[in-house]
Amino acid sequence: MVSAPKPYLLLLRRVAMLALLVGQLSGCLGASVAVPTEFPQPLLPKIPVQMGLVLTDELTRYVHEETIPDYGEWSIDIGPAQQPMFTQLFAGMFDAYQRVASSADQGGLDGVIQPTIKEVQFSIPEQTRSDYFEVWIRYEIALIDNAQAVATLPIAAYGKANVQNYGFASTAPALQAAARAACRDAMAFFAVQFMREPAVRQWLASNAASVTPTAVPESANNSGGSS
Amino acid sequence: MTRRSDLSHRRLALLALLILTQTACVTATVQAVRETSTGMTSGDSIVVLGRRSRPNSNETEFNFVNCVNRKVSSGTNAIGVVDEQRFRDALFPWFEPRTAPGQASDLSELIAQPALAERFNDIGLRYVVWVEGSTQRIDQGGSLSCTVTPGSAGCFGFLTWENDSSYEAQIWDVRSGRQAGKVSSEANGTSYLPALVVPIPMIARVQLGACNSLSNQLKTFLQDS
Repeated sequence: MVSAPKPYLLLLRRVAMLALLVGQLSGCLGASVAVPTEFPQPLLPKIPVQMGLVLTDELTRYVHEETIPDYGEWSIDIGPAQQPMFTQLFAGMFDAYQRVASSADQGGLDGVIQPTIKEVQFSIPEQTRSDYFEVWIRYEIALIDNAQAVATLPIAAYGKANVQNYGFASTAPALQAAARAACRDAMAFFAVQFMREPAVRQWLASNAASVTPTAVPESANNSGGSS
Repeated sequence: MTRRSDLSHRRLALLALLILTQTACVTATVQAVRETSTGMTSGDSIVVLGRRSRPNSNETEFNFVNCVNRKVSSGTNAIGVVDEQRFRDALFPWFEPRTAPGQASDLSELIAQPALAERFNDIGLRYVVWVEGSTQRIDQGGSLSCTVTPGSAGCFGFLTWENDSSYEAQIWDVRSGRQAGKVSSEANGTSYLPALVVPIPMIARVQLGACNSLSNQLKTFLQDS
């Protein structure tokens, strides 16, 4: 026979649930989010090369976890977004591309590109005394030809999201939006900057047939989200 | 007896409706500066974009941009509006925070790209409208307290706050690659919350006022040469 819970226990349970709810709404208990996997294909003149793409397990399983004292545990699952991100990017940028297991598997391809996430940082509104979640992702993107590094592009991608745009329970959606914005920023940076990199241009000139040198409008700045 | 109960329910519902629909006054002003002639033909559309710069207190709210989209694309003299996210995706990466043109003259460089010009044509884009500005609380005062006891509850006090909206829309002509003009809207209003047992909110819909006036002015600006 099960006895009915005592009234003070019921009250305690309600207070605990209310505290949990208030905690979640105010964002002080952390959040765990995954970056959405839908990305647009860039609208660019295609570079006439056949490029290989190496996506390591380390990259595609990348999770950033952090504990912020007084503000709980936070986790941003960035890895699953990397494959759709780079395949969309490559489909829009190059004449042809192919996933390869490693830079040693170049085969008949003109070159191989291997992106690596070097560092992820984020800040919550309570830390910056603002309304914004901010996410920074530092990539290093290596262009490799015949097992030799041709160029390494450092990319400092940035994304932000204003919690005021996401209603009451804004913590998780705003952090997710900031992380997604950082991924889009990385794509935009790479798309615009790749053809401007002197080492890449030199490599293209010596390897590929006819590459339009002014493929990217100069007005597209790369100052890191300053529009 | 049932009839009396029905009547009192109806009165209560009416009172609740009256309380919920109380609004305070909003004063809105609009201004337009024309630099070139404008005009829309059937099949033409516009896109309304919020500036997404580094964190600042003046970033345009999503719901304001959505409101302008909704108002411009409906009612009398409705204009075709392309959804902001769909536009950013279709023109990726050229309208991202890092790459978006900062001034109208940068637009001509983008239009010179055949692929971009073709995409603009496909979506029938005639004007790009950049919205900047925000709604801020500029003053507040009063106090209100509520008490809950077994069997009764009530509030007592008076709260007031003043909101100020200030928005500006820059209109860029996609065909000429020049700025066609600017439309700005400012709105101000004070909201009140008196409470004598039951709080009665009288909300000044300042942002909505600014959205309505900016949207109407935009429609007029774009359709009148």
